Amino acid sequence: MIKRLLPFLALLILFVVLSVASPSFLTSQNLSSVVRQTAVFNILALGMTLIIISSGIDLSVGSIVALGGLAGTMAMAKGVPIPIGVLLGIATGFVCGFINGMLITQLRIIPFIVTLGMMGVLRGFALIISDGMPVHDVPKGFQYLGEGTVLGFPFVLLVLIVCAVIVHFILEHTRLGRYVFAIGSNPDAAIYAGIPVNFHTVAIYALCGGLSGLAGLIEASRLSTGQPTAGQGYELQAIAAVVIGGGSLRGGEGTVIGTLVGGFIMGLLANGSDLLGINPYVQQALIGAMIIVFVAVDELRKRKSHS
Amino acid sequence: MLLEMKGVEKRFGGVTALRQGDLEVRAGEVHLLMGENGAGKSTMMKIIAGMQKRDGGQILWQGKSVDFSNPKEAAQVGIAMVHQESLLAPHLSVAENIFLGREIAGPFGTVNRRKMLAEATRLIAQYGFRLQADWMVGRLSPAGKQLVEICRAIQNGTSLLIFDEPTSSLSEAETHEVFRIVRELRERGTGVIYITHRMEELRSVGDKVTILRDGATVHSEALATLTRDRMIQYMVGREVNAIYRRDPLPPGAPLLEVTGLSTKTLLRHISLTIRAGEIVGLGGLMGAGRSELCRAIFGLDPVETGSVTVCGKRVSLRNPREAVAAGVALIPEDRQRTGLARELPISWNVTMANLEAVSPGGVIRHAEEARATQKAIDRLRIRCENGKQRAGRLSGGNQQKVVISKWVNRGARVFLFDEPTRGIDVGAKVEVFEVMDQLAREGAAILMVSSELPELLQVADRILVMSQGHLVGELPRGCSQEDIMRLATVPPASGETLQ
Repeated sequence: MIKRLLPFLALLILFVVLSVASPSFLTSQNLSSVVRQTAVFNILALGMTLIIISSGIDLSVGSIVALGGLAGTMAMAKGVPIPIGVLLGIATGFVCGFINGMLITQLRIIPFIVTLGMMGVLRGFALIISDGMPVHDVPKGFQYLGEGTVLGFPFVLLVLIVCAVIVHFILEHTRLGRYVFAIGSNPDAAIYAGIPVNFHTVAIYALCGGLSGLAGLIEASRLSTGQPTAGQGYELQAIAAVVIGGGSLRGGEGTVIGTLVGGFIMGLLANGSDLLGINPYVQQALIGAMIIVFVAVDELRKRKSHS
Repeated sequence: MLLEMKGVEKRFGGVTALRQGDLEVRAGEVHLLMGENGAGKSTMMKIIAGMQKRDGGQILWQGKSVDFSNPKEAAQVGIAMVHQESLLAPHLSVAENIFLGREIAGPFGTVNRRKMLAEATRLIAQYGFRLQADWMVGRLSPAGKQLVEICRAIQNGTSLLIFDEPTSSLSEAETHEVFRIVRELRERGTGVIYITHRMEELRSVGDKVTILRDGATVHSEALATLTRDRMIQYMVGREVNAIYRRDPLPPGAPLLEVTGLSTKTLLRHISLTIRAGEIVGLGGLMGAGRSELCRAIFGLDPVETGSVTVCGKRVSLRNPREAVAAGVALIPEDRQRTGLARELPISWNVTMANLEAVSPGGVIRHAEEARATQKAIDRLRIRCENGKQRAGRLSGGNQQKVVISKWVNRGARVFLFDEPTRGIDVGAKVEVFEVMDQLAREGAAILMVSSELPELLQVADRILVMSQGHLVGELPRGCSQEDIMRLATVPPASGETLQ
C-alpha cells in the first residue's frame, strides 16, 4: 500500500509547494499547458507500462512518434480527411509495434536489442520518407487534437484519460493483462501453464506501438507540422514515468495510475522549475536525481518487507 | 572440542530465526545438522561462518570466545562453508574461482596466474578430484561446481568445514564422491558440519546428529543409536506417519499411452501406458532421462519419433499449450523457476492455466476467480492468509500445493509429477502424497518421478525404471530399493526390456 502512496504523496506535496511558491502555478492556463506538455509522453508511458510489466522494454517509441506523426500529416497534406489521417498514424505505430513483437518472439532476441535497433531503423525511415523536411501543409482543424479545449479542459486530457482507462482495464480486468503479469513475473511458468506467450507478447508491443502513433499525432498537432526528428529521447521519459510510478524493470509490477502519477511528477518538476526560474540545466539534473531517489526508496521498502 | 555454541540467538526484524542454538563439534567428527525448513540450520551456519552477526549467546572456538563480523575473519581461524547454491563466477576458470578474493599477487598489483594455476592443480591432485585448474566454471556440471566450492573452502588449511546440503543437486555417483571427500577430511582431523534433508544417505558418513526445531536445538545424539523414526519425531515435534501407505485402486481406462518415443538427445523408444486411478513411479539415476521423458510428453523438448495419446486422442508434441489443452499437467522439478510465479498472488497462480474459465470474452470475472481460488485452497488445504497473498511467501509444501492446484483447477487428467517432494518438509510430503492419491481416486493418471526410493515404494502402484534414456524394466508394488537400483544401474543393452 505504502508503495502506491509514495508517488501520490510526492505529487501532492509538489502540487502544494508549487501552489504556495508561485502565484502563476495554480492558474488554468498554466495547468493546461502542463497537461498539454506531458500528454505525449504520458500516452507513451501507458504503452510502456504494459511492456515493462511483461519485463520487456521498448526503446523505439520515440521514433514511432516521428513516423506516426509523419504518416498522418503526409496523408492529410495530400487531402485525406483528418480522422482518416489520425487513424493512419495510429495504424503505422501499430504496425511498427507488431514488427517489434514479431522480431522479439520469432528471432528470440531480447527486447532491448530489438527495439534499440528498431529505434534507429524507424528514425531513418522517417527521415527517408520526409527527405528530412518537416511536413507543413496540414489542415487547420488538425490542431484541435493537441491544442483544442472541451468544456474548458484541454482535449488531450480527454484523450489521455480515455487511453488510461482502456489500458487500466486491460491490465486489471482482462486475460491479456493477466498474462502480461504472468509473463513478466515468470516467463517459464507462463509457458509451462500453456499460456500463448508469443501471441500476447506481440499483442502488447503492437498496442504500445499504436499508442505511440497516437502520441506522434498529438505531437504533430501541437507543432502543426510533421517532424521527422520529433520524439527524440521520449522513450526515456516514458520509462522514467513508469519507474517512478512503481513499475519494476524486472517485470511483474506496475500500475496505470502509478505511471500517470510518475508522468505528472516529471511534468510538474519541469513546469515548477520554469516558474521558479530554475536554470534548465539544473532542471535536467533534478529530474534525473528524482528518478534515482524514487526507485531507491522503493527498493529499500522492498528489502525491509522481505527480511 | 573445536566449536561450542551456547544459546545463540538471531532475530530478523520481529522474526526470531534462532532462539536457542546449541552445538558442539569435535575435531575429526562429521556432525549432521538436521531440521525442517525454517528450523534455523542455515542461520546457525551463517553465524558460524561470519556471514551474519548473532544477537545473543556464546560461541567458543577451540575454547576461546569469538565473534566474527565477516567471512574473512572466520576463514582466518579456519572455518569455511560450502554453499548449497553455487556462489561461483561462471566465466572464470576453476583456479581463478578457487582463489577469488585472495588472488596470489604478482608484482605491481597484478595477479600471478601461473602460480595460482599450479597451486590449484596441486590441490585438485591432492584430493583426487576430477577437475582441471584451467576449466571454465560455467561449463561444469553441478557436481563439478560443488567440487570447486569445496576446493575453495579447503584451500588454506581449514579446520572446520560446513556443507549446506551439498548433495541436493548431485547424482548418486557424485554423492558418493562427496562422501569420500568428507571421510578424507575427517581422517585428516577436520571437523565437518553437514546440513542435509535426505535421511537415507547420512548413515554412511555421519558420527553425530544435532536436530533443530523452530529455532532451537532440541536433541543431540550419536548417529548410531538414533533411529529414523525418533529423528523425524524430534524434527517435527510430534509423531508423524512418515511411512505413508497408499491403497491401490483397480485401474480404469488408459489415459496416457506413449509409444516408441525418442528424442535426439536422450530418450530411446519409450513406451508406457498409465490408466485412470494409477500412480506409476519412475525410478532411475540422475541423467537416466526421467525428467526428459516428462518434458517430452509435455511438449517442451522436440521429439524425434513416437507418439503420445491422452484420453484416447493423439497429441502432437510441439509445445506445452497442446499438451495442456489435451489434459496433461506437469509439476516441474524446479518449482521456483518454472512452476510458480512467486511475485504474483496465489489466486493468479491457481487460475493461470485455466484463465479462460473465469474470463469469458477475455474479461476476468474477479468474483468467479476468487471462488475458484477458495475452492483450490480448501481442497488442497493450502495454508495461507488468503488468496491475495503472494505465492512466494508460502512454505515449500504450500507452494507445491499451489502449483498442483493450478492443474486441478484446469481439470487435468494426466499428471506428471517431477520430484514432487524436493525441498519440502517431512509433514508436507505426506500431504502431497495424499493430494496425489485423491487425484488418482478421482480418475487421474499419475506419473511420479522421484530420486527418493522409499517414496516411490510408498506411493507408486508399480515402478518403471529408466537407464541411459531407455525404459529398462517394470517392478511391482512391494519390490525393494535394491531391485530398483539393480535395474537402474544395469546398462540398457543387457537389461530386461519391458514386455
